[in-house]
Amino acid sequence: MTSSFRFLEDIALADSAFEARGDSPSELFAASARAVIETMVAPQTVSSTCTKAITRHDRSLEELLFDWLADIVYLKDAEGLVFQDVVCTVEKRQADGDWQLNGTLTGEPIDPARHELRADIKAITKHRYEVRQDNGGWIATVVMDI
Amino acid sequence: MNLQTHMTVNRITDQIWEIPASEKPGMLVPARIYATEKILTAMDRGVFEQVTNVACLPGIRRYALCMPDGHWGYGFPIGGVAAFDRDTGVISPGGVGYDINCGMRLIRTDLTLADVAPRLERLMTELFRRVPAGVGSKGFIRLNRPEFDEVMRKGARWCVERGYGWHHDLERIEEHGCIPGTDPSKVSDHAVERGISQLGTLGSGNHYLEVQVASDDRIFDKPTAAALGITGHDQIVVMVHCGSRGFGHQVASDYLKVFEKAMRRYGITVKDQQLACAPFRSPEGQDYFAAMNCAANSAFANRQVITHQIREAFSAVFERPAESLGMDIVYDVAHNIAKIERYAEGELVVHRKGSTRAFGPGRPELPEIYRQTGQPVICGGSMETGSYLLVGTDQAMQQTFGSTMHGSGRTMSRAQAKRSVRGEQLQKQMAQRGIIVKAVSMSGLAEEAGFAYKNISDVVEAVDAAGITRKVAELRPIGNIKG
Repeated sequence: MTSSFRFLEDIALADSAFEARGDSPSELFAASARAVIETMVAPQTVSSTCTKAITRHDRSLEELLFDWLADIVYLKDAEGLVFQDVVCTVEKRQADGDWQLNGTLTGEPIDPARHELRADIKAITKHRYEVRQDNGGWIATVVMDI
Repeated sequence: MNLQTHMTVNRITDQIWEIPASEKPGMLVPARIYATEKILTAMDRGVFEQVTNVACLPGIRRYALCMPDGHWGYGFPIGGVAAFDRDTGVISPGGVGYDINCGMRLIRTDLTLADVAPRLERLMTELFRRVPAGVGSKGFIRLNRPEFDEVMRKGARWCVERGYGWHHDLERIEEHGCIPGTDPSKVSDHAVERGISQLGTLGSGNHYLEVQVASDDRIFDKPTAAALGITGHDQIVVMVHCGSRGFGHQVASDYLKVFEKAMRRYGITVKDQQLACAPFRSPEGQDYFAAMNCAANSAFANRQVITHQIREAFSAVFERPAESLGMDIVYDVAHNIAKIERYAEGELVVHRKGSTRAFGPGRPELPEIYRQTGQPVICGGSMETGSYLLVGTDQAMQQTFGSTMHGSGRTMSRAQAKRSVRGEQLQKQMAQRGIIVKAVSMSGLAEEAGFAYKNISDVVEAVDAAGITRKVAELRPIGNIKG
């Protein structure tokens, strides 16, 4: 089971983009969240003094991922939090066929004295936004407005 | 001419280039790009694709336009201008951008470089302390929801009523810092929660606060400069570039989702999902317009609170009240906004995204003090080069829906800039050149290096030669605060 991400340079000149991969939707969501986190802060400089639980469901896996990443941007502004890591599960519900996300972000309130802060993400965008399956794995392309 | 597009691009003048409406299926009007040949050949492919996509939107009038600082953006190119019929046309969040009413403010002073140089380090430290910047930064003003609703309705006027500014500041702000037609009930709780504690903060990315010098040899039109309060003799001025922060970003994100669904209902198809739009007269269009105006007013308020903090910092360092330092606002302009304006075709919904209103002399929207000169236009360059003060012209009214450029425009990716220089190294190099930089993020600083941007002087020369603005003064940086 593996997950990873890499930042892409040739998509958004003034902004930031990444491609995330995972063997499962759960891993894809975790890798994508880590890319968003690392765009804003060096995670190794963040302690784990608080956790935020996020549960969501959606018929569309693409929309669910989009909203999950937007939640991390929201928490940065609304609650002043940056994160160190994430665990999440994403599974298809038997009852209604929706995708169910149960995620937990660990981090702490922003402290410019200790945290190596990077870019302030304005929004997750739909520009070239894509979630697809490839050779049994899952891949997402995401562009963030900086 | 070797362009980064296969489209037909016809020369209209040395600064105006036209892509005919026949070039792409669905184009309703031609696209026009304002640029010199040098700038046009360097423009990325995205500009040509996006400006012609905009030309396909329902109700567009005359041309889809792009200014010489244009580059790829979301939906509309940055530097994009498009006007739509108020009754039959659309409104698009992609034509405004995520940072609603991102804009520029210029504040003059009676101080000179000789006064400031000995205290510059202390001044920049004081400004850095008083104007929060960087990821998730919070301001000093604590608001509850009803108070934030008032900020949405009143904009900069709210600040002046609370003592964060002077009464005559308001006439020196586009729309007097208070756009009518707001409705806070059209704004989501998420948007309020993202923005309610951010009043008076800069943000990050290309946003900045800069202390600059107006030297005699860089003033191109002395009478106009004097009318704008720029007297030269190494005069110190302060420039601010920022917008509506998390509040505006969330309003844009919320309504892009609303419009994706609304387009299906109204049978509108677009070439790019980020061009999601709705008829201006539709409930969705009206809701977005009201929410966008709320965000626009919050941006005017944001820059007003920052102005208050700048005046406090100068007052503390120079041990004199800001009034006695002559710290009047020169002007404040929005460069990400949609507004109702009247032209020969009637009332139009003019979208400016990375483009500045540039009304010519005599327009009734201008305050009395600038009715003769034309509207001041503030264009920010990179942190290492210079910025410009221009004025609007009659020609802009006739050709570009009273619009012009907004800045220099990137030419290099953020990652490439970071590979080329380290933030600490750049900070040191700039200090050697007499520019003191205070930054929250060193990687963010490297991303904003001067070499990552077009030469702003080339861009200014293009709009000056095209006649859609006249250059008044170039302003050289000596201190910069970055997020």
